[in-house]
Amino acid sequence: MEDFFEKLSMFTNFIWPLLLLAGAYLVGSIIEKKHFQSIRKREDGLHGIPVVSFDTMPEDWRVSSSDMVTGSIVISLDYFKRVIAGLRGLIGGRIKTYEPLLERARREALLRMTESAREQGYDAIFNVRLETSRLANAGRDGKGTAGVEMLAFGTAVKLASRIG
Amino acid sequence: MKFIAKKPREGINVSDEHPLVEAGTLIVGLTAIFIVIALALIFIIEVALYFVSTEAEAELFSDWIPDDLVTVSPADERLEQTQLLIDRLVMHWADTPYEFRVEIDDSDVANAMALPGGLIIVTQGLLDQVESENELAFVLGHELGHFRNRDHLRALGRGLVLSIFFAVITGNDVAGLGINATDIALRGFSREQETKADAFGLAIVHSEYGHVNQAARLFERWDAADENSLAIITYLSTHPQPGDRVERLRAIAERDGWRTEGPTTSLGWKGR
Ligand SMILES: [Zn+2]
Repeated sequence: MEDFFEKLSMFTNFIWPLLLLAGAYLVGSIIEKKHFQSIRKREDGLHGIPVVSFDTMPEDWRVSSSDMVTGSIVISLDYFKRVIAGLRGLIGGRIKTYEPLLERARREALLRMTESAREQGYDAIFNVRLETSRLANAGRDGKGTAGVEMLAFGTAVKLASRIG
Repeated sequence: MKFIAKKPREGINVSDEHPLVEAGTLIVGLTAIFIVIALALIFIIEVALYFVSTEAEAELFSDWIPDDLVTVSPADERLEQTQLLIDRLVMHWADTPYEFRVEIDDSDVANAMALPGGLIIVTQGLLDQVESENELAFVLGHELGHFRNRDHLRALGRGLVLSIFFAVITGNDVAGLGINATDIALRGFSREQETKADAFGLAIVHSEYGHVNQAARLFERWDAADENSLAIITYLSTHPQPGDRVERLRAIAERDGWRTEGPTTSLGWKGR
């Protein structure tokens, strides 16, 4: 019976957080892998639409119509990334577990923007900008992070004649 | 201008390192750092204990009680009687620097603890479990033993180190940490500290009653109980297992030739 108590406290203190961590890692890395696969596939499909960050339109573009297009994604951290980043926060350095997360967010936002431009029949996007904001968690006095939003926006144009 | 579509280049913004490698490095490295810091702090606590006299501690903490302690009504008769019992027991510890104070915690979970400045906390749950004054006297004598060996200060120091560490890990405010009774209650002493406290507690009981009959009765009952109920599990998580304890106390009594038979005293608030 004392065994039972020891096992119980052992479980709540060590095994449960480890299980949670392992579970979050497994599920999180599967989702991440799938997401990257989907991103690469869709990038291949959109291949050829110019998406540039010039703030003025290249002079040789002859434009018949234009509109603003946006693409945005809200993406959350998993428990594993959060814990590892928390440990990293003690000593500093690259938060390597966050880098793929933000990379996914950037490429996904750009993809959504480009897909929306193509759906509306536009041929190119210029003056493309990216913005990030952190979504605060309602709990813990807003100290926690629920996720990040990545917003991509730009001016989509329909080219009357595409030179070059 | 010619636009040549290119696919995004991989591997620039994302590290190639496997996340588990990073996790492993961080966990092993930080654990090592923490162990070194913890050992250094425990050493500092020992050094500080050497320099801070018991008198200074008794003075410094003379009015202190933990932030989260919920006590029973000051008019509760058990409070006065327990205090009187402690005062009687302390007479057998001639050179004590403390003025012992007792507080009764409102909790139904059995526990007893020694806190800085001569504060002894017993829970209502413990008072429900003891059936004679002799049983209670041993539990109190055991806590007095922790004071004598200054275990309570070690526990406090180590507890502070641990709470600071967890506050750092979880990102809580380190400056706002209070000293909580629940923290301290959940912190056990080493086997050696417990054995010494038991020996001291039994010696005090022997001096008070002239025999050690019933001193370990509480633990005999707990040992015989089929299951550890929730009411006593906390006490057992910070104290030795009752069976071992009964054995050890019997051995001490035999070694010192103490009488194991004698009249027991009943508790004023029981059996009426
Ligand atoms: Zn003890």
